Amino acid sequence: MSYVSVEGLSKAFGQNQVFSDIGFTIEQGEFITLLGPSGCGKSTLLRSIAGLNPVDSSSLTVAGQEITHLAPQKREIGMVFQSYALFPNMSVSDNIAFGLKMKSVPAEEMARKVSRIIELVELKGKEDCYPHQLSGGQCQRVALARALVVEPRILLLDEPLSALDAKIRKNLRIQIRAIQKELNLTTIFVTHDQEEAMLMSDRIFLMHGGRIVQSGTPESIYTQPANAFVAGFMGHYNILDKDSAAELFGLNGTQSIAIRPEAIYIQEPGRAYSEHMTQPTPAIIKDHQLLGNVIRYKAMIGQQEITLDALNRSAGHLIPVGSSVGLLFDRQEFQPVSLSVSTPA
Amino acid sequence: MQNANLLYHKTVVYSIISLLALPIAATLIYSFSSRWGATILPDGFTLKWYGQLFSDIRFLEAFGRSLLVCITALLLALVLVIPLAFVVFYYYPGYDRLMNVLILLPFAVPPVVSSVGLLQFYADAPFPMLGTPWILIGTYFTIALPFIYRAIANNFMAINLKDLVDAAHLLGASTPKAFFHIILPNLKKGVLASMFLSFSFLLGEFVFANILVGTRYETLQVYLYNMRQTSGHFTSALVMTYFFFIFICTWLGSRISKSNAL
Repeated sequence: MSYVSVEGLSKAFGQNQVFSDIGFTIEQGEFITLLGPSGCGKSTLLRSIAGLNPVDSSSLTVAGQEITHLAPQKREIGMVFQSYALFPNMSVSDNIAFGLKMKSVPAEEMARKVSRIIELVELKGKEDCYPHQLSGGQCQRVALARALVVEPRILLLDEPLSALDAKIRKNLRIQIRAIQKELNLTTIFVTHDQEEAMLMSDRIFLMHGGRIVQSGTPESIYTQPANAFVAGFMGHYNILDKDSAAELFGLNGTQSIAIRPEAIYIQEPGRAYSEHMTQPTPAIIKDHQLLGNVIRYKAMIGQQEITLDALNRSAGHLIPVGSSVGLLFDRQEFQPVSLSVSTPA
Repeated sequence: MQNANLLYHKTVVYSIISLLALPIAATLIYSFSSRWGATILPDGFTLKWYGQLFSDIRFLEAFGRSLLVCITALLLALVLVIPLAFVVFYYYPGYDRLMNVLILLPFAVPPVVSSVGLLQFYADAPFPMLGTPWILIGTYFTIALPFIYRAIANNFMAINLKDLVDAAHLLGASTPKAFFHIILPNLKKGVLASMFLSFSFLLGEFVFANILVGTRYETLQVYLYNMRQTSGHFTSALVMTYFFFIFICTWLGSRISKSNAL
């Protein structure tokens, strides 16, 4: 039996259905990400699991215990908020000790646990600081320590990194993942950043319009998007409807296809390509963007715009706008997709 | 050009300040002068009037009564408004707009009119209300309401009440524990600032005090009014004492609301 099991979770605010019939299972120690654009219901879903939002219908079990109607205090779920939600009137160590105090943990044990967790999140020397004296990254680590110190059965992270600047965000996501692995903690992470989700998760649940539209490992979601929405959200996929696909590649014309930008090549003279490649299709370069190690081209095949990524090998390699080129597509990377998003995977 | 402009602005501002300060300065000098009649400058300076004022039992009693009525009304407002604002902001945030209308209602009617209404309404009360401090406490409570509610509401908005209480719940705290351990300590600034500002406002209130209670429970403003026939030096000393007190309260209030230390 799975460690966490969610069945038929629904929530509506008046006429507005936030999410409906959500169901999934999580194994102990797994890192799960609820990924989706803002307004897709992922944060509300997380708050419902925590017991902070009442749900309309559901069954929610953790470690075999039914917790659907349990108060948040009794669920043994830790949560880190986007706003940190640190208690401004308490020092770092008092913030972290709060949960233990509420559980009437003996003072000695409390001090030991607090100092151990402070070491784990690398906040030694900041014990007596108040939240307003800390940076955003430090605040978020205090919030993480506060949630971890009570040894929750599940850890919920509600966009904990979105208020931080890029560099701190990168460091902190590595740190969070390392701590989660060390403690073998079942974790549900909410984000709208697909890169963050791919980097941190064991499995991703991609949400759209209050439903989970696809779930799976980061690799499977990225390489096999189930529909046009997933393809568009996970990467800069080119979506070709069935008529364009038939016209360009001679496919049988029953399904639309998605092609990743890195699976399309600009023909270089004298270079041999694998047998999976299509014949070169004439195209005109319309635009190029330098993204660092990658150059992103936009090319036109007739009226069809194609986005493709090429490695930025040298400065002289850049193909000028207006050039005529031949594009080769890797047939193995053609992903049949549905253009509607309503079918859950 | 900029300097000339600045000079112009400074001149206007300081002229207005001087104009406004003139009567207060004159009152201050008058309260310290032994006699100031037909001459440009006073004949001499004395602390006699302040001595006389602070040895007048009636003044001290009126001052005490004013303090009692104002402080009781403010405490009543706090005890009722803090839990109310907590419920509004945590459970029904949409009702804040309704509250903003409700708390301003006492100001919609001029004090003279509403005091007549209160007189009529409480004339037939089963227990005597008119002429007692109770009616004044109740009325002052409604006057203090908007100041206290708004200050506490702003405070709640500033601390992100919902996330704090949710975080406390998930850490095992009940709602009352979350309220006393986390919310109340963070309200200190808003509460103190609004208390001092409303206190200085209430201490100067005359219309309700005079009409609803009058000499039966003589407060500071009613005492000042009743003393209008005595020596001008004496009443000047009285007014200056009152101003000084109000100044201290307002200064403390604005200092607390500006400071980040609390």
